[in-house]
Parts: sequence; C-alpha cells; structure tokens
Amino acid sequence: MEGPIMIKTEKVLHLNSSKGRKVRVVREHYVREQVPCGSSLCQADCLNDGKVLSGDVTHYVVPDVGVVRDFLEILEFRELQGIVFTQTAYQSVQHTRGRRHYNRLRALLKDPRHDCVLFANEFQQYCYCPRDKGESQDKWHTRNVYNAAVWYYNHLAGLQPVVMITEDNDAISEFSALNSGVYVISTREYLLSFWPDLQAAHDLYNSIAQTLQERESEGVEKVYTEHLPAEVLEAGIKSGRYIQGILSVNKHRAQNEAFVRYEGSASKNTELNSDVLINGAKLRNRAVHGDMVVIELLPRNEWKGRTMALTEGQGEEQPLEETQSQPMPSGRVVGILQRNWRDYVVTFPPLEEVQSQSRNSQKILVIPWDYRIPKIRISTQQAEALQDQRVIVRLDSWESTSVYPSGHCVRVLGKAGELETEIQTILLENCIHVPPFSEAQMCYYKKMPVNTEENRWQMASSEVSSRRDLRDTHLVFSIDPKGCEDVDDTLSVRTLPGGKRLELGVHIADVTYFVREGSLTDLEARSRATTYYLADRRYDMLPAVLSADLCSLLGGVDRYAMSVLWELDAETLDVCTVWYGRTLIRSSYQLHYELAQSLLNGEEVEVPELSQLKGSQRDQKLAKLLQALETLTRVARHLRAQRDKGGALELEGVEVRAQLDEEKNITALVPKQPLEVHETVAECMIYANHWVARKIQESFPHQALLRHHPPPKQDFFNHLIDCAKARGFSIDTRSNRALADSLEQAVDPQDPLVNRLLRMMATQAMSNALYFSTGACPEEQYYHYGLALDRYTHFTSPIRRYADVLVHRLLIAAIQLEKEGSLSKPLASNKELEELAQHINNKNRVMKLQDKDSKTDERCVADAVIYAVRANGFLAFIPQYGVKGAVYLKDREGQVVSVDGDGRCEWKAGTLQRYPDRISSCTSTGTHTFYLFSHVTVRISVEPSRCHADSLCLELVSNKPHCPVQPESQPAGRGRSELVQEVVRRAEEASLQAERGRKPKLSREERQFRQSRTPNLYVLLQEISELALLDLSVCQITNTEEQTCTASS
Amino acid sequence: MAGLELLSDQGYRLDGRKASELRKVQARMSVFAQADGSAYLEQGNTKALAVVYGPHETRGSRSKSLHDRAVINCQYSMATFSTAERKRRPHGDRKSSEMSLHLKQTFEAAVLTELYPRSQIDIYVKILQADGGNYSACVNAATLALVDAGIPMRDYVCACTAGFVEDTPLADLCHAEESGGGTALALALLPRSGNIALLQMDARLHQDHLDALIEAAMTACKGVSKVLDGVVRQHLEEVSVLTRD
Repeated sequence: MEGPIMIKTEKVLHLNSSKGRKVRVVREHYVREQVPCGSSLCQADCLNDGKVLSGDVTHYVVPDVGVVRDFLEILEFRELQGIVFTQTAYQSVQHTRGRRHYNRLRALLKDPRHDCVLFANEFQQYCYCPRDKGESQDKWHTRNVYNAAVWYYNHLAGLQPVVMITEDNDAISEFSALNSGVYVISTREYLLSFWPDLQAAHDLYNSIAQTLQERESEGVEKVYTEHLPAEVLEAGIKSGRYIQGILSVNKHRAQNEAFVRYEGSASKNTELNSDVLINGAKLRNRAVHGDMVVIELLPRNEWKGRTMALTEGQGEEQPLEETQSQPMPSGRVVGILQRNWRDYVVTFPPLEEVQSQSRNSQKILVIPWDYRIPKIRISTQQAEALQDQRVIVRLDSWESTSVYPSGHCVRVLGKAGELETEIQTILLENCIHVPPFSEAQMCYYKKMPVNTEENRWQMASSEVSSRRDLRDTHLVFSIDPKGCEDVDDTLSVRTLPGGKRLELGVHIADVTYFVREGSLTDLEARSRATTYYLADRRYDMLPAVLSADLCSLLGGVDRYAMSVLWELDAETLDVCTVWYGRTLIRSSYQLHYELAQSLLNGEEVEVPELSQLKGSQRDQKLAKLLQALETLTRVARHLRAQRDKGGALELEGVEVRAQLDEEKNITALVPKQPLEVHETVAECMIYANHWVARKIQESFPHQALLRHHPPPKQDFFNHLIDCAKARGFSIDTRSNRALADSLEQAVDPQDPLVNRLLRMMATQAMSNALYFSTGACPEEQYYHYGLALDRYTHFTSPIRRYADVLVHRLLIAAIQLEKEGSLSKPLASNKELEELAQHINNKNRVMKLQDKDSKTDERCVADAVIYAVRANGFLAFIPQYGVKGAVYLKDREGQVVSVDGDGRCEWKAGTLQRYPDRISSCTSTGTHTFYLFSHVTVRISVEPSRCHADSLCLELVSNKPHCPVQPESQPAGRGRSELVQEVVRRAEEASLQAERGRKPKLSREERQFRQSRTPNLYVLLQEISELALLDLSVCQITNTEEQTCTASS
Repeated sequence: MAGLELLSDQGYRLDGRKASELRKVQARMSVFAQADGSAYLEQGNTKALAVVYGPHETRGSRSKSLHDRAVINCQYSMATFSTAERKRRPHGDRKSSEMSLHLKQTFEAAVLTELYPRSQIDIYVKILQADGGNYSACVNAATLALVDAGIPMRDYVCACTAGFVEDTPLADLCHAEESGGGTALALALLPRSGNIALLQMDARLHQDHLDALIEAAMTACKGVSKVLDGVVRQHLEEVSVLTRD
C-alpha cells in the first residue's frame, strides 16, 4: 500500500466525559505534504476537484476564526470573492456555534455561485503547528490561520497577495510585519479599504459589532432558568422523563400560550396524546416558535386549560376572567435541542416609545411582523432613520439574563405600508428568497437556448429522429386558465383504426431536456422548488425563456414533450396498453376553460385558431375538436367514477380570483365558478400521475419519488362531527369512503353553505400530502387518502414544480432501464418550500382583500355563517370573500350584544351563556341565541396595524341573513329593476350550487393541475390543512386564516 | 456544539486520514525473554502486548485436553490506564471474556493445532492504550508473538476494522470513529488464501453495503499483512546478525 507519506503527530484535547468530568484525550493527527489548495493559480499541480477559486481577483482573503464565527454574514456577500476558509475556522464554527451556523457555512462552501473554498490547513504538514504549552486556544487558532495564509501565499508563488482579516488586535501587531505579501488587518479596515462602496456590508458589520459589544457588558440578573446540557436532555428523553417536540406558539395569545406536539409515538404515555401546553413566558424559557424543544411535564395540580375566549390580538393582554377549558397536560421547557431561527421582519416602535425605552443605551425593542415571535432587542444608532421602515433582523442569542432575545439588523426592506415592501415582507416571513435570474447565471449556462425574432429556436435533428413524432397523427390541445403562459400539459384523444380502441394521451413539457441535471439552471430551480404565484406577479422557477416559451406547449409550434399514451377499450374504457416516452408534438388549440366548456355546452363561440378559416373547412375542424372534447369528458367521468368507488374525497374551499385591470390593479374579487371541464383536465392529469407513479415504482422499487397522503388522525374530526350533529347530520370518518359518502348526504336543502362549511372542516382535519422516496417507506404507506389511489406522484407540471422534474428524470431512466443515480433522497426541503408557497399566496390574497376593502368602501356589509362558538363570541365565515373571522358578542366594558325585534343589534349590559352548539346573550330586553350555521350580517372593516399585517374586523350588524333588501348595503337610489336582477342572480347561484351537488366534484389534489396566475383553490385548501397541522390551536380555538380580528365598537 | 463530522466534505477523517488509509502500524518482536514468544504492536494509538507460552502439556484438569490437536487458551485484558477514564476491572468482565473467545476462535482457525495433540498453547494479550480497533491490534500482536514462538501457522492472521459513514467505507477506525455511533465491522483475514478467520459486526447495515464494507476491510487487512511481514523479516535479519558471530 503505497499511499502518500503521512506523518503521525498527536494532539491532546480536554473533553467533558459523559459523567461531566474533564477527561484528557489523546488523538492522532496525521499531516501530509499534499493537500489540495483549491486555487486556479496553483503552481504545484494540486489535485483540485470541485470548487476552485478564480484567479482574476485582486487578492485572496483568509478570515480568522473569530471573523468566521461572528461575522459569517458579511462573508456571505457575493461581492466578496476569493475567500479561503481555513479548516481551523471551519471546525471552530462547528464546535462553538450551533448546527445552523455550521450548516450555513457548509452551504456557502458548496454554493457554486460563491467564490470561496475550504483549505484543510491542519492536515498540511507545513501549515500545522502544534499547540504550545500554556498557549490559549484562540492564540493557537490565530497562529494556525496565519501560518495557513503564509503557506497559501508561498504555495501560489506570490502570484496573489493574501489578506488575513482578524478581530484580534494583538495578532495584527504581531504578524503584520512578518511577511511581505501577507497582510493582517482588521475586518473593519478590510471593508473600508477594499469594499468602500459596499454599504450593506458596512452596516451589517456595525450592527453585529455593536451587538457583540453589548453582549459583553450584559448584566447578570437571571430572568430565566438555564437550559440543561444536551447529554442530560438526551438521557431524559430516552428514559421518558422529558418529551421532545416542536414548539408552536398560539398566534392569538402569543405571550401566554404555546403548545408542544410530540414527535414520534408517545406510546409510553398514552394518556398524554394531546399537545402539551406551555403557559407563560417563564415556562417557555426562551424558546421561540418553531424551535425543537425538550419539555418536562408539570405535576398534575399545576395543569392549566387553554383559554377559550376570543381575545384581542394586539396590545397588552389583560387577564380576562378565567374562561378555560379542561386542564390539559402542561409543561415547561428545560432545554432546546435545535433553534429554528430565521430572518424576521420587524418594525421599529414609534419615536416617543423609543426615547422612553432607552435612556442609557442604544438598545431598542422592535416588534416582529409575526405575532408569534417575541420582541427583539437590537442595538442600533439609526433608530430614528428606521422609523416606519420594515427591517430584516436576525436573532443572535437569548441569554438567561435577558427578557427578550437580542438580534441585529441585516437589511432595510422599505417603508411600511407600501405594496412592494409588504410583498417583500410576506416573502421573507415565509423564507422565500427569489432574486431575479442573474445575467451571469444566464451566461454561465452557455447552452441556454434563445428564441428571438432574428434567432428562432430550432429543434435538433437528432432529437427529431429519436423521438416519436405525434405532430401529424394526433390532435393535441391544451386547456388552461385564460392568459396562462406556462402551458405544461396538453391532451389528445382519438379512436384507433378499427374503432375498438381509444387512445388517450397526456403530453407534458419536456423540461428535463432543457434543464440538465446539475446545471446552474437546475440548481437554481432546485433551490426555488416551485413557481410562486401572487395576485399580480409570478416568481418563476425556471427562467422566462424556458417557462413561458421553449418548454411551454404553446399552440401551433413544435415542442418536445414527455407523453403517456393509453390504449383504452372503446366500450368498457379499460386500459389495454400504456406507452411512455419522449415525443414531438404540435398543439393545435390553446383553449381556456370557459371556452372549452362553452364548446361542450354546444354554444356558439369563436375559437381563435379557427377564425382565419371559413365555411366547411372550419366546421369540419370544429366538429373534430368537439368530438375529442366529448370523448375526453366521457373518459374523465369514467375515471372519476372509478376513483369514487375507491373512496376519493371531494373537499371544499373557496377560490377567489382577483380581476386585474390594465395597470395590474385589483378591481374586483370574484369567486371562481367551477366548470366540468376543470374536472376533466384534472382527472386526466391524475391518471397520468398515477400511471407514471406505477411505472417508476416498478422500475425503481427503492428510489422512486412518490407522493402519499396519510390518513388523518381521528381526533381531528371531532369538531366536524360535533358541528354536523348540531344540524342533525352524522359524519362517519372511519374510512375515506365513508367520509365521502356521509359528506355527500349532509346537505341542507335550504342552505347549500352548510355542506360547503362541513367540507371545509373536513379539509382542516386532513394531514398534508408528502413526497417520499419508496425506499424510505413501507409499501402499505404509499396510499393516497384523498385521491384513493395506491400510488401517486407529481409528473404533470415540470415547469412549476421541481419534484416533477425529478420524476421526469426517473421516468426517462425507467424507460431506458438504466440505473439512475441517487435520486431517491426525500425532498423535505422542497416540500417545505411548497407549503410556504401556498402560505404566501394566501397571505397575499388576504392582503389584497384588505387593500381592496380599504380602497373601495371602508365598511362593507356581508352575509356570514356561524361555524364555531366561543366563550365571548363566535367564528363566522363570509362566503362572498372566502374570509373567516371572529365576531365578538361581548366588548371590553363587558357589554353584550342584544338583538331587538327587527334584528338590529345594540351593545347592552348583560351576560353570555355558551353551549356546545349555540351561544345566548341575555340582556334586559330579552335573550337571543345564535346557533351554529345560522346566517347573520356582519360589517367588515379594516383594522390598520403598525407592525403587523392589517387585520379584518367583523362586527355583528344583525342576526338576519344579509339579503338584498337590507338597507345598509344598498345605496338609496337603487331601483326595483336592480333588485329583480339581484334576486335572479341569487337564484342562479343557488341552482348552480345545486348542480354542483349532483356533479362529481374535484378533490383537493386534482385542482392543482390547473394553472392560474391568481391564487387558486388548491392553495387555499393546502393552507387550511396546513394550519390544521401546524397551528395547534387551530383545531379547537380558531380557524381564522387572518390575523386576529378585533371588535371595534 | 454540533456533532463530530466523521468524514468531511473534502474526504478527510477526524485525524487527517482519507477513507481507505490505515493508521501507522509499528511493531517489535521478542520483547520478553522469559516467554516462548512475545510482541508489542502499535496501531495508531492503540498499543497491545502479546505473550505466547507453549505448546506445553495441558495444565489443570486433563479432561480439557484434546487427543487430536492442541488447545488454544486466550486471555485478553486491558490495562487500568488504557482508557481516558481509569478502568476498574482490568480483565474478567463480560467484554473481555467475549474478546478472549473471539481471539481463541481466530487462532484456532490459523494455528496448525493438529501438530500438537494433547497439548496447550497460551496466548495472553494486554491492551496498554485503547484507541479503537482493540481486537485487531490484539490479533496482529498475537500473530507476531506466535511467529516469535515458532508455532506453525497457515498464514499470518491480520485483522482490521472498517466502518461505514455517509456511504463510504472507512478503514481502521479510531476510537472517536468507533464511538460515533456508526457501523463497525471487525475482520480477521488469512491474506494469502483470502480466507476469513473471523468476522464480527454488531450494528445494523443495509445488505447492499455489506460487500463494499467487507472489501474495504479485506484491503486494509492486506495492508496490515505487508507491515507484519516487514516486521518479521526485519526481526529475522536482526536475530541472524546477532547469532552469526
């Protein structure tokens, strides 16, 4: 074995043993001559694989241990190039900072867009110096880093000056004069002399430096108990004494209530199957929403119940009279396994508050946008300049001596209240970072195809010959929402010669042809994971040239596609054979849903593609298209019926579509009308996904990417069952089939909204569908509960979702029967991003709604349905806007709502009585009871908020349904004819509702295959189900998606 | 503190070795004159002393002796100062007994016991410093001691451990790597024939990776055998120089 020559040395470490004693450990340390340097200027033929530092920078910079540890964020600026991280610094970060910090450094080193490398200096024979007797660790580290810098300079034969930056002033004086060519300066000086224009870095540096300084001069008075060491926690979890879980703070009582949900099975403690309540900030012990915490249960006599009253979200929380539920398991946080801190958007308090706050220091308490995050203490001198601005803040630490966590400013977003700022805020609050595709990225990926007027994109002849050509044989068309640019699915159907067989085809854009695995576009797409749709804009996953042009299966042009073709029996519609493969298609018609539906209904409509033609030719073509659409509808109905037999669920949500005018302003919000053709398209896509899932799972039993939907927990259904009982329906939740059937029957002929609400509640109870790798999961868990399919994946939207791109690659590999690499890693982060995308859409929708509300009329009145009852009010759903909110029956002075004879409401002294299915208000004038599912009229107004998102207020106007004759809502001059129209419209709506009841509806999963530029239904549903999962309080306390609504009286 | 990273992104292990590199192996034979054979071996920081007595008449009860071959008696112990925290019981605990049994099985496969019926061979091994791979250090030291005692063997018995971290097999684990919670496999090989004398693995490992892991351990054992062979040859040279005059 002739390896490279290594020299054995030893190093002595002092570690803590498991029993807490100091132990002397001797470790071997092998050093060698050949350690790759990672620079393209290398003169010694180092084996540099992977990332290499570019040679065309003015200098290389070697940060010291302290700089990497505390100022890593500055080194993250892409403008800073030629950074050599030493192993000494790297390991120091690993040992002294948490895993998050360390992972950030690792990600930085892996990121190909960042010009930095890791140099294993401690394994280099001439760089490494053993620790001297009595030398402090910091000094030793600095000496090692300096030696590495010198070696680096000499190794590159002096071609590149090397700058070492350090925070240690002794080191600067000691080393700076030792070697010419190796400069030792402080970080501040470095930034000033090399990057004088990079203002953001300077600000960040000052902010961090000040925070560090403040931390040193901190008081010692303990506010919180210390966290236990990690070993003790681990032992405690194993023995069952402590419980591990994710902390989630109740949005509406952020200061008091937080819950911890178990991770894994709590089999040892079956009685503790619910969440554990952490009451108050003391017991929460510095944990922040999202942290992985370890808790200890309190003795039973200290258990508390959760507060059942609706409270005002803002302001101080005065202790209300105790309206608590049954005492539930309560605990206290004893330690934190993993912080889950991200960047937070905050707002500075008004100036007068600032002045009173900070007499002697520059410390300012800022208020995060997210209610669940405590106030953050930051040090800054720019407090006045940052008034009314939204600022990104990063948390640094939370010492036990401090009431609030301390952080530092990172970046200013912009003025609060401006649309741009608010959108940025929402993006950031959901951890979505979408810079525009950089020019460099485009250039770097040289093969990026172009398609311009002068330089038209052509198909490669090799591809033409290797693909199956469907351009002349198949009538291919797409159905999408109006104005859709990224068409990634098209359909075809035809009767095969002989008439015995039908051929159904689903053709998906062949994104993988353009996005090679590992290319920059691929990396970028992977980190974006999905395209984000906002009401007025879109953040693409792929560059526009691909997403809206070359990959998009536009009408009348030749495109590459991945196709699935089924041969079906013309009578029974059973599948005879399936063919998968790469094809060439030319979409003949680019239809939109409304047009397709009108065609099916036999209405006279103009098809744009046929407007040029005339006479018989046109009729002939139209007939052909119509026939295809009808066949498709027939097939889709059959498929749906098959799945219904298996127990597919149809779930409910409200889709609101924002209508935009030319200037991209929102003019109106319209609930979307469901059409049968939506289902037809979705059904075909589900079918394609299902068959692709089967194919890849058979080819790669251990590494196929599938999507499953685990059955929901039974206790989540309790609310639904209780509500249904109030209306006399019984809901059977034992299986998806039973649930679907009982939901189908729970229809109140007078009030179609009841069924919608019940379905919405069922949606809330659902778990989230997840991506998984077949190797990581037993086969019986592949089942998709919502769709009632044994295997399912995402295949049909590769332009918008990265998961689909992976599935495409798998399918290609399966076709070639080649062994694909390690594609099987579960896409957890991908999934998270997806969830966030839905989050964001919804948030944005709410914001727009408020925006609109505040613009048009400050107070609008609408019909609402009560869907849950609380101690001092009820939760209502407004179908018109798809909004939910709390309505108070009791104000701050303790007055309650009383209802007089004609349904008007007034505030009067009285009492409230709460029952499971109704709430009564007793006043001097009489008693009035509000039942579940009864209609009331509420007034919507916007509660502006400085620091948070504006919230909606609902105020009870009347206990009668809000109907057209209600005077408040109608302008005085409204004529009789208008009223008639209104009535007609309502009748139409009602009939439409009834029709929907009969028709098979789309389930939640299907709807996503529609593409829309506006927030769509799927998004909302996902959001709801996500809330049900994440926000523990949601199931029982409140189901509002918005921020807390306050009664303004 | 974030956990130890056993294999860095650049392919370095904790102590600076690459995945397939062995620790430094140094050995000396005939360290004691009183015994029939003895050897001292360092494998990295793991230090082992092996002493062989025999073959001699069976001690104790006659019933233990076998009529067709020699009995091999192994005893494994660890010095009280061998670990970071002082050991209470140097031998006779459960772990030591198991190790003794493994050593016995290993050498029964390698020593030509049928040449010495009704007799006994004693192998005593002591770990002076433990830093991972105790079993392999013991086997390697005992092999040298047996050679020193002149007991005929089929081949050198070379042992080495291998672990599996981030889909990469690591050869010759040190203590930090062994206690890191990953899979560890100990393998004793008769390198010339490629026969396996003993293979032991406690932790879970996916079946697909087993071949790669065994392959890595065998390569490592062959590396060790070269070192041992060199030690024996050098020892012979020294001895022959001494005896020549």
